[in-house]
Order: sequence, then C-alpha cells, then structure tokens
Amino acid sequence: MHIPDGYLGPQTYMALDAAIIPIWGVAAAKVKKTLRSKQVPLMALGAAFSFVIMMFNVPVVGGSTGHAVGATLIAILLGPWAAVISVSIALITQALLFGDGGITAIGANCFNMGVVMPFVGYYLYRLIAGDTASTGRKVVASGIASYVAIVAAAILAGVEFGIQPLIAHTASGAPLYAPYPLKVAVTAMASEHALFFGWVEAFATMGVVAALAKQDSALLEMKPASKSMRWVWAAFAALVLLTPIGALAEGTAWGEWGTDQFQSELHMAVPAGLEKLSGLWSAAIPDYAPSFIQNPLAGYLVAAIIGSAVVIAATWGIAKLLARKRDDADTTHPSAA
Amino acid sequence: MSELSGNRQDAGQSTTAQPQTPEPSTATTVPGAVPVPAFRLAEVHQSYRPGVESLADVTLQIASGEHVAIVGANGSGKSTLLKILDGLVFPSAGTVEVFGKALTEESVEEPAFRAEFRSRVGFVFQDADVQLFCSNVLDELAFGPLQLGLAEDAVRERVDEVARGLRLEKLLDRAPYTLSGGEKQRVAIGAVLAMRPDVLLMDEPTSALDPRSQVWLLEVISDMKRHGRTVIIATHDLGSAAEFADRMVVLSEEHRICADGTPDEVLDQRDLLLEVNLIHEHAHRHAGRAHQHPHAHGHSHQSE
Amino acid sequence: MIPALAHVGKNPERRPQRRRSLARRTADVVGRAIADLLQNEDHARASGLLQSLDPRVRLATVLVMAVTVSFLHTLPTLALTIIATMVLASASRVSVASFARRVWTTAGFFAVLLSAPAATGWISPGYELLGHGALSITAPGVLVASRLILRVVAGAGIGMLVVWTMRWSDLLGALTALRVPDVIVATLAMTQQQIVSLMRTVENIHLARESRMLATGSTAENRQWVVGRMAFVASKSLKTADEIYDAMLARGFSGHWPTLRRMRMSGRDVLWLAGLVAGCALVLGADRLIAK
Repeated sequence: MHIPDGYLGPQTYMALDAAIIPIWGVAAAKVKKTLRSKQVPLMALGAAFSFVIMMFNVPVVGGSTGHAVGATLIAILLGPWAAVISVSIALITQALLFGDGGITAIGANCFNMGVVMPFVGYYLYRLIAGDTASTGRKVVASGIASYVAIVAAAILAGVEFGIQPLIAHTASGAPLYAPYPLKVAVTAMASEHALFFGWVEAFATMGVVAALAKQDSALLEMKPASKSMRWVWAAFAALVLLTPIGALAEGTAWGEWGTDQFQSELHMAVPAGLEKLSGLWSAAIPDYAPSFIQNPLAGYLVAAIIGSAVVIAATWGIAKLLARKRDDADTTHPSAA
Repeated sequence: MSELSGNRQDAGQSTTAQPQTPEPSTATTVPGAVPVPAFRLAEVHQSYRPGVESLADVTLQIASGEHVAIVGANGSGKSTLLKILDGLVFPSAGTVEVFGKALTEESVEEPAFRAEFRSRVGFVFQDADVQLFCSNVLDELAFGPLQLGLAEDAVRERVDEVARGLRLEKLLDRAPYTLSGGEKQRVAIGAVLAMRPDVLLMDEPTSALDPRSQVWLLEVISDMKRHGRTVIIATHDLGSAAEFADRMVVLSEEHRICADGTPDEVLDQRDLLLEVNLIHEHAHRHAGRAHQHPHAHGHSHQSE
Repeated sequence: MIPALAHVGKNPERRPQRRRSLARRTADVVGRAIADLLQNEDHARASGLLQSLDPRVRLATVLVMAVTVSFLHTLPTLALTIIATMVLASASRVSVASFARRVWTTAGFFAVLLSAPAATGWISPGYELLGHGALSITAPGVLVASRLILRVVAGAGIGMLVVWTMRWSDLLGALTALRVPDVIVATLAMTQQQIVSLMRTVENIHLARESRMLATGSTAENRQWVVGRMAFVASKSLKTADEIYDAMLARGFSGHWPTLRRMRMSGRDVLWLAGLVAGCALVLGADRLIAK
C-alpha cells in the first residue's frame, strides 16, 4: 500500500504531510510519558521490527504469498501510539534508505498505515478481545481487527487516489495525477485488500499472536484501556451523527438496484432471476422512508435512528450473552489461557 | 549472498603496531595508604524470577589493578555477576560496594555519583550490535564523553586519542552496520575506552571474534594492564583466561563461587573443573594414537 | 490499486527457471536489500556533485525538486525533470545506465501498468486512436497516462538520488541542524543499525530453513513456520531493546542526547541553492506557458 510520488497532487500530499506532524507530536509525547528513558531503544526496535515484518513472505493459498504490513500487530504489542511512531519510522526509512514509497507521499503513507491502521486495529482488538485471558479469543480478535484495519486503510488510500481527478485537473477536465475516479479507485483498493491482502494480514497477525502466546505470552498482556475506550464510543457516536450526510447522495448505490432501477437508470431489461425473487421480502421501512412520514429527509433520519437503535440493542444483547457464557467458563476453568 | 551481509573482509586493519589505550583518568594507587578495594560484594544473591536463581551467596573482593578472570560454564552466572558489578542489575540480597561507596538502584541514579561511576567503570558487552547506537563511528566514540558532559573540544580530543590508539581513523565516518564483526568490537571497545575508565569489565570478549581479532584483543588487554587498570573478564575460554589473568574465580553450575586463586592453582584442580563442566574428558586421536585426557575447547592441539 | 510491490527500491524478481522455494525467495530479497544498503554507503561516499554539498542543502535540493515536479502539468517539462535527475546522477558518480534501469523497471514499469486503463476510452473518453468504445486507446487517455508515467518516473529518480547519494548519518545531521528534537534523531540513528541486524537474522532464518527442507512443504505448514519465525523476531526485538538500554546506561546515558555540531554551509552551497530555486521557477514558468 506504499504510495509512490506522483500519484497524489500537492493539495492532497501537502495536507497529509501537514496533518501527520501534530499526530507525531502527540504520539511522541504519549510514548515519552509511558516509556521514559527506554523509549529510544524500544521505538528503534519497534521500527526495525515493523520494517522487517514487511519483508516476510506469508503463504496464503496455493503457491501464492503476500506481504503483511503488521501495523495492527505492533499496536497490539506496543500500544497504538508507540505503533504510530514505530510504523512511521519504518516507512520513512523505507522511503529514504531504500526508495520504497515516495518522499512527498510520506505523510499519506504514514497516515494510512501508521495511524489509521494501528488505531482501527488496536481498538477493534480491544473491543473484541475485551479483558480475556483466552488465547483463542485473542487470536480471533487480532485476525478480525487486522483485516478490518487494513481494508480501512486501503479504502482511505483509495479515497486519496479517487479524489485526485476531482480536485486537480486541466481546463478540459483531464486528471493531472491519479486518473481514476472515486468509484474505481476505492473499489479497486478495497477489493484487492478484502480479497487478498486483508487475508495475508489476518493470517500473519493471528499466527504471530498464537505463536507468541506459546513462546512469550508476557508480550501479549493487555495494557489497561480504561479512559481511552471513551474515545471509541465517541467516534462511533460521531459516525452515527454523520449519517445525515448520506441524504446528499443522489441516485442508487452501484449494484443495489431494484427492478425499477433497471428500467429508469440502466435502461436494461430486468434479469429473469431478479424478477422472480423481487417479491420475496417486503421491508418494514422500504427505501429508508417510513410510510408515516411525508418529508423524505425527516423520514431518512427517523429510519437511521430506528436502524441504529435496533443494531445497538442487538449488539448489547449478544455481548451480555457472551459475558454470561465467559463468566460460566471462568468459574469452571479458573486458569483459562 | 551471506558473505556480503555478514563477514566483510577486515580491509585496512593492520594490527602490526601495538594498540594504545588511553591513560585512566584517576590514579589507582596512593603510596602508603590502604587501598580501597575496587569492588566488594557481600553475600550477594540474585534471582530474576522467583525460584530461578542466577547467583547464590557470592562474597568477593577485587582490588584495584587486579586482572581477574571469572570462569564458569554457560549459565553459571558470569554475565549476571558482571552486570551487578556495573550497576545494571541489582542483587535481591547482599551488598555491593564500588571504591568504598554503596552501589544501589538509588545511588546509581544520583547524577554526580552516576557520572563518576560510569566514567570509572566501563563494560564491553558480548554482542557488539547491542552497543552501537549511533549513525557513524565518530558519534559512537563521542557518545560516552558527551554523556559525561564534557565540552566539545575535550570530546574531540578523546575521540582522536582512541581512534589513533585503536587504529579506527579510517572508520570514523562509516556506519556501524557496514563494519565487520572484528571492526565492530574494536569500535565498541574504543567507545568504552573514550571514557577513560579505571576498571574494564568484559563479557565473553573473544567468543564472536576471528583468530586475528582475538590476538589483537589480548594485546589491547595487555596494554591496559600496563596502565594499571583493573580488568575483569567473564569467559568460558580457559586458555585465554589463563594467559591474561593473575587471578581466577570459578562459578559452579549452582551459581556459587567454588574456587578463587591464581590460574595455576585453579587449573590444577582437575576434578573441580570437571565437576563444574569447564573441561571434559573425551577420546580423540593424536598423530595416529587414540588417547584420552581432560581438556577444554578453546584452541587447537598441535600434533605431538 | 497500487500493488504492494510497486516500489522503486525493490528490484523486480527475475523470472525463475524453477519455482524457488519461499525460504529461498525471501532470503534472496533480504540478502539483496542488505547488499544494496552496503553498496549505497559506497555511492554516498564517492566524490560527486551532490555528495559535495552540505547535507541540509542536499535535503533541500531533493525536496525542492520533488515539490516542483508535483506542480508540473506538461509533458515536456516533466521529461526535462527526468533528464535533470539523470544529469545529477551522472555528476554524482552514479552510473546513469543502472540509475535509469532501476527507476524504469520498478516505478516506471508499475506506472505503465497502472495507467494503462486510464489510456482507454473507459476512463478518458475522447478522440479514438485505436479500437472502439470503452476499449479504445484515446488521445486524451494517452496524454493522461503519459503524464502520470513521466511524473512517477521523475519522482522515483529524485528518490533514488537520495538513496544513492545521502548517507543516513548525513540525513540525521541535517535533521539535527534543522532543530528536529534530539530524541527523534537518536531513535532514527539506532533504528538503522537494528534494521540491518534484524535483516541479517531474517536472512539466516530463511537460509537455515532452505538448507533443511527436502520438499516444498504444504501452504499451511509453510505459513505456520513463517508466523512462528515472525513471532520469534518480535520477542528477540523486545529483548534486544532491553540489552541496548543496559548498554546505554553502561556508557553513562544521562537522559538526553547531545550531539557534536559540525555543519557549516559554504558559499558554494548557497550558490547551488539559489541556482536550484531559480531553475525550478523557470521550469514552472515554462510549464504554465506551454499549458496555455
């Protein structure tokens, strides 16, 4: 996912180069607070490890192999802020010592792989693994977390590519930098990682977590989360509040066509199979528009609220169930590892 | 491929001239006065984890100017003992005194004591890679003096002195990772000597070196002895230990001192050495005849 | 979109006669990376144009050029930049042939691959040169693709100039002179040594595996081994950090990282900088003129 120079225009790369500096500042301050005088050797080794992890060839399926980024793994081992520093240093070293990845693109690469990946991966890992002592749960959590994290980073990179034609083009509209529109760029990056590199990342992360649990389990000890989890919930809340932006999108999402869109938007005949199955399920709130609300915007918002409430309730219920199961397990197996 | 990555030829290393180590910064003997021992350990016990002992009941005194070899099989606690002498590890029981002052976790953090202690006692680690943390050799040699708070001119003077004495001038602008194993160890020793220590602690210094570098190292140690330094070397190589030391301390596999005397005295106790796994008996051939005698591995036999 | 392999630094793998084992492939790549690193040190110590400049000025040169390239819109000016990088390489005792080969076979190759769809009517509709409809090669498409390719190649060339003419210690010296905090510079310095040390470990691990394997092994088996080794490197790294800390303490580490200041800019450096900025301004001006 290393972005070379030339694909991102100055508006994008300069913004990201500028944005990464305060993030580094905060990360450095946090690391200094927790690691104190040991920070230099620990960060140097963290960076060296991060660098070297990217060189391993991880077998996936058949004879194919891929390279993992390892940012989530490092976040699990050292914490997210230390991971920001380690991965950033590894990326800078790759760019300046080996010519791997662009110089102007350092901010973008560090942001995608050095900030978004470790944070998404780390907090998802904590969310799923909780305070567990069970290796199995840690392994599964690390797999899911690293997969989602790399796909998220890939989507972000796709967005960075995809907005280039929009923000930088000649008078006639020809793109000056990365030439593919948002739909193509994001789809390509997302699918490449969801279908292949995400699995490489997941296998690598899960494998290492499992191996470390046997070789050196002290490394996997949970650092207390306490206050920091508040930010996760704040982030989720913010995302929920941002859903009204969806109301700005026009038309139907690509691929999500109903029988009526085939005629009106695609000008194609409805496929026979689709026609047959179209009456199978009638949604409670079709098209995000509750029947009892006239104004489409208000209807959209109400649908969002109802939907979110259902999802949150369901998740809470499942979590409670799992917690009860774990408590039962704990009482019968006091040394779960 | 590995040749390039690991063992670059020692180009330019001409060790025909005797290496010159800097003078120690303080006089080690005051005529007429009772000398304070460099190190005094009393009933020192050490365990890194509960139940796992690394040193047991070590009582030891080392006078200034002595040349001591601490020998023992792997795992006997030699490295731990050295680290205790250098204030990197602290005993779980017992006391440690350096030049008459108590060496504890608290005392070593006190800035004035730390500066004096670190400049008087130098430690050369077994793995050179662990001791090279700067981006070029010059910075590496300057690290110690700079940490001691010396002015830039004094720092440069020390760097030049060590570079000349150990023939490192051509390597000054090189990055440490481009150096061969022998060169790295030279730089590591130089970096420690730049602090002009009175005492030099060395952990298995010959184990990673090629034969020529080993010879060079012994010359460096002789030079330091000439200046009256205290040299303490931990090793399982009985041969080199006997050559340089005038006192041998043997650690058993139970992490205790089981012998302490001149090399001749210690090496005479064949049964003891067998017991602590420093030598072994096995059969081999010499000039066509099979025979059996106890020996340690560390140098090859000449055919008889 | 950008495959993880589309990097300038990594040499493209030669097509093997026989399928090499995983262990052999990784060992080769790592070994080559180490060899490249050592070779780069030699390049950086040669007495060429770029090497003779103050490290801060070298860094500034690279940044000014990279930023300028990102503002160029027309093909002639981009091509000019590529030629400029080759001239600078040559003046800095770097073989232009290997420079060009390296840049074109890595970044250039992937840029061509990635921009190919952009040359078609699907992405850039317009006057069709070849073919028809979505699969045609169009004039605007060729322009868009060429622009990207040239820009990427120019950027890669500039990056290679850094790699081949700047030593890490020079770079760090420049950063220190630019008031980057000492702790950061110290960490960057230590990282380099440890990267090489870990790379050697990784190479040896893979070579050892190669020498012990009689058959290729199943995917699952290989993967199990790879992640096991990654875990080993993880533990080793963290233990090494502790040992390094002990070594730092033993050498009197006092909590901060003083360094020797030794940079002095000469008149020549200032002249070069001025000339560079003027040159880039000229090229930018020409670019805007051509674009009209």
